[in-house]
Amino acid sequence: MGTAHHRAIWANKTALIVGIGGLGSPAALALAEAGVGTLILVDDDVVELSNLHRQILYAEADVGRHKLDVARERLLARAGSDVLTVRSRLLPDNARELVRRADVVLEGADNFATKFLAADACALEGVPIVHGAAVRLVGTVLSVGAHGRACYRCLFEDVLPPERAPNCAEAGVLGPVVGIVGALMADLALDVLSGDCSRTSVLHSYDAKTDRLRAAAVHARADCALCGSAKSISDTLEARYLAPSPPSSITF
Amino acid sequence: MAVTVRIPTPLRTLTGGNESVQAEGKNVRELVENLESAHPGLRERLLDEKGAVRRFVNLYVGEEDIRFLDGLDTELSGSEEISIVPAIAGGL
Repeated sequence: MGTAHHRAIWANKTALIVGIGGLGSPAALALAEAGVGTLILVDDDVVELSNLHRQILYAEADVGRHKLDVARERLLARAGSDVLTVRSRLLPDNARELVRRADVVLEGADNFATKFLAADACALEGVPIVHGAAVRLVGTVLSVGAHGRACYRCLFEDVLPPERAPNCAEAGVLGPVVGIVGALMADLALDVLSGDCSRTSVLHSYDAKTDRLRAAAVHARADCALCGSAKSISDTLEARYLAPSPPSSITF
Repeated sequence: MAVTVRIPTPLRTLTGGNESVQAEGKNVRELVENLESAHPGLRERLLDEKGAVRRFVNLYVGEEDIRFLDGLDTELSGSEEISIVPAIAGGL
């Protein structure tokens, strides 16, 4: 990777990054330094002091500023990518229009609703997506090609109640873990932009406690609602992204 | 013969903090029952009320998801490593 040939390809590509936080920061930096032509950053948050240990684009003096503004400044100062910003969250009514603008989408959302929304929007628009997540000492990355199979819904079927899975705001996450996971997201996104799908539909799991990176194939499920033979998802209606079950005492 | 089961961080509270445990079972279903005996509460995290693997959890035998083997009936010889992979969100 990173040859003149690849850089010439990447210079004409657009990557859309959902969330410029712990995962989005290193991913954006890596993509910019690799020479990806255009980055579209989607976020509506401001920098907080508690972000700084893991969100490497920001410094203490940035606290209170919009992440988009700071991220854009930092990326422009370091690399030649065009950096466009969208001050919003990824929402059911803007998701498809946003992902359509990109050659690859990277999402490191801290909630399952956004993850499934991003997966659905990309599948419906035929846009490759790289999903990333990190909690405590572990992280996972899954890249899904434009063909859309196997997809995030093949792996984790539907939106689950937030009570059932921790996110990093509640469970905490180690700064270096998001750095590694975010860099891996960028690496897989660059593959996709080069037309290399050899690492799509593979679940990469990183465990910082054992320093182990596992790769396990994700198979397409025949009954997947998004990409299966009788798929039922053809839109991104809001109701689809509401947790289906009442709060449970079971937490995973 | 006992197999090694890799425990994800959120479940290590049930295994005394251990990242892997040994358990026996001729298939995955029996393994889960034996895990429950040794680490009460684990089964409920892995299986739903109907005894099926929860939709936001994946169980791997080696590098293969049991959904694409024989599910909970996937046989174990004793040399495999079992991984529990839950859905996680986070990273912002």
